[in-house]
Amino acid sequence: MKIQLKLYGSSELLSGKGVLSFNLPKNSKIKNLRSSLMNLIVKKKLKNNLGSLPELAAFSNMKDEIVSDNYRLKNKELLSIIPPIAGG
Amino acid sequence: MKIHTSLLDSKKKKISLKKAKNFIYSKSNGAESIFVGRVRNNNKGKKVKAVTYAAHKRLVMKSFTKICNEAKKKFDKKAKIFLEHATNYVPVGGISIIIAVGSGHRDEAYKISRYILEKVKHRSPIWKKEHYIDGKKEWIPGHSLRQKRK
Repeated sequence: MKIQLKLYGSSELLSGKGVLSFNLPKNSKIKNLRSSLMNLIVKKKLKNNLGSLPELAAFSNMKDEIVSDNYRLKNKELLSIIPPIAGG
Repeated sequence: MKIHTSLLDSKKKKISLKKAKNFIYSKSNGAESIFVGRVRNNNKGKKVKAVTYAAHKRLVMKSFTKICNEAKKKFDKKAKIFLEHATNYVPVGGISIIIAVGSGHRDEAYKISRYILEKVKHRSPIWKKEHYIDGKKEWIPGHSLRQKRK
């Protein structure tokens, strides 16, 4: 199934388009998305900048809820990645 | 209306201290606390020339409203609160955040201001990218919103 991930903060280094697409097995959960994200970071040789992102990022769904690692992803779902925050 | 919250795109509009003061003014308030956060010219030995603030707008606005309501409930239900945060490119000396509080007494005004600032830093999805004098840029690491695993 296909998942779209809207990028914020440091994760924008992964794509100039602001959105990434992932093809994941059916019934994947957030933890599967974390693994795919790490694979992409390694592939793009961004481990020095973004190596801790898959571990530290939160994810929000279209209802603007931060979802847990057990959240089951839906086909064509659009999520946002929330890297560690630093406002104020 | 006793709470005003906003994210302001600094390319279009500047955060206004005057607007904040006007909003919180009330004859029934004996105390006003105004916190102004600005972009400083250094961070950990690096010379900073500006900061770009990025935000997940819907989540930030949701968090701002919730945080301000919590602060009122906790310290002073009658308090007036003005909270604005800048997005986009803010040069050194520019205002990144204003938290203005009008309250009956000083203790509550100080407490509300501090509460809001700490909660914004820990709950509102805002990111900052520092721009340095040497031309380099860097996203600043911060606080993870990942839910703790049980």
